[in-house]
Amino acid sequence: MLLHIGAFRLDIDSKHASLWHSLAPKTRVLCTLLLIFAIALTPNGRWWTWAHYAGVVGVIALCSRVTLAVLCKRVAIESVFISIVLVGTLFRGGGTVLWHWGWLQVTTVGLQVLGSVTLKSVLSLVMANVLILTTSVPSLLQALVALRMPPLLVAILASMYRYIAVLADEFQSMQRAARSRNLMGSNRWQRLVVGNMFGSLFIRTLERGERVHQAMVSRGYDGLPPMAEATTASRRDIVALTVITGLTLLGQGVYLLR
Amino acid sequence: MHHNPIAIANLSYTYPDGTQALKGINLSIQATERVALVGANGSGKSTLLLHFNGLIIPQEGEIVVGEMPMTPQNLKAIRNFVGLVFQNPDDQLFMPTVWEDVTFGPRNQGMQGHPLEHRAAAAMRAVSLDPQEYGPRNANNLSGGEKKRVAIAGVLAMQPQVLVLDEPSAQLDPRCRRELIYLLDSLPLTQLIATHDLDLALELCDRTVVLSQGQIVYDGPTESILGNSKLLEQHALEMPLSYSRPYCQLDHAPAA
Repeated sequence: MLLHIGAFRLDIDSKHASLWHSLAPKTRVLCTLLLIFAIALTPNGRWWTWAHYAGVVGVIALCSRVTLAVLCKRVAIESVFISIVLVGTLFRGGGTVLWHWGWLQVTTVGLQVLGSVTLKSVLSLVMANVLILTTSVPSLLQALVALRMPPLLVAILASMYRYIAVLADEFQSMQRAARSRNLMGSNRWQRLVVGNMFGSLFIRTLERGERVHQAMVSRGYDGLPPMAEATTASRRDIVALTVITGLTLLGQGVYLLR
Repeated sequence: MHHNPIAIANLSYTYPDGTQALKGINLSIQATERVALVGANGSGKSTLLLHFNGLIIPQEGEIVVGEMPMTPQNLKAIRNFVGLVFQNPDDQLFMPTVWEDVTFGPRNQGMQGHPLEHRAAAAMRAVSLDPQEYGPRNANNLSGGEKKRVAIAGVLAMQPQVLVLDEPSAQLDPRCRRELIYLLDSLPLTQLIATHDLDLALELCDRTVVLSQGQIVYDGPTESILGNSKLLEQHALEMPLSYSRPYCQLDHAPAA
């Protein structure tokens, strides 16, 4: 899946015009982080809080006019990976035993934890995917710099984004070369060849890294990537942040007020 | 403008594995001169080019670039003075978008804001790329010729006085190559072009330096070396086809 990254664009909905798009990328990242933290830090079993957050996430998703089919597809693919972790939470002890088979048992606590964690992860994934769909990677990276993430870390992310497609291309051309010379035979042999390809890809990556570094140095790089000018936050950004903060607090307050 | 941008005296270089790449190179390049550096694979062209930009510090011998000797203190100034265009644009275009890549060099020089934008846009226009259209694009999705142009724009944006190019016409189709030749011809900089492409050398450069096994074996007018097929063959090179035929058009070819 990763090897086809050159063929698909991450930010297919970044060109729309909407309230969400009119916010600075920095603000969008902050809103997303706020919501994800609020969703993830809510104690298990507080269903009404998540219902409230689901409303907020839903409104943002609708208002940012993302392509819902793509959003669902991506969340579905990512959920597959998370579900492996989730299955573990189902069979934990505590509470009333509802069903058991040998040492396997399903309890009320297990069900509650499973439901809570599933909700948390799905809501967080939807929010993160809305951000990725609506914000291009370069402006995301700039937002991270603006949010005081270490510039070297951002530079590493940036070159990863730049070169992952080059590497995928290189791997594909190696694969094609192997197929054109009739790479067949046993599965074991094929796995061996693919292993060798990864090995040589790794060495090529090292060499390329050296050349890229030379190219950077020859254009005056001296250890720290140049910073883009910081964009100032407009009134709209401040309002959006305040509203999201208010909504997250309100969500937490649902159980306090009862 | 300096009158003597680059002077190399008695330069030698040995790789860590013991391969001697350069032996006693003496070379002087005048301002606004265009020099072709030709030689077979492994003749030491690329190693010599890396010296011009201070990416390799001379082991033996001396290099003076625009009155600055090649020492670690001068490296920053020398790298602003000499722009190096790498052979593979994928090595050189490391930023996520074209615009960020073109502004990389000037930003390292400390430029910001309006002057930076102006300079990057001018560099992109110099290689006939529209800054509005190409600026936000990802370097991955460009064609080979476009990548080459962006790589050259990234170097031009630093406003160097000397342009050093490693195999500029490699992997370009004929039209891109032709456009590149026009582009280089229109730039009023001192240029040093390492190439196998003798046609390009003939079009652009009055002077040619032939490297063979790390030594300079010829340094003189391009036309006289291209007429000397014996010397070329001796150093694993070949005359351009257009030059080696005794007729101009295929119709005039003698019947086989």
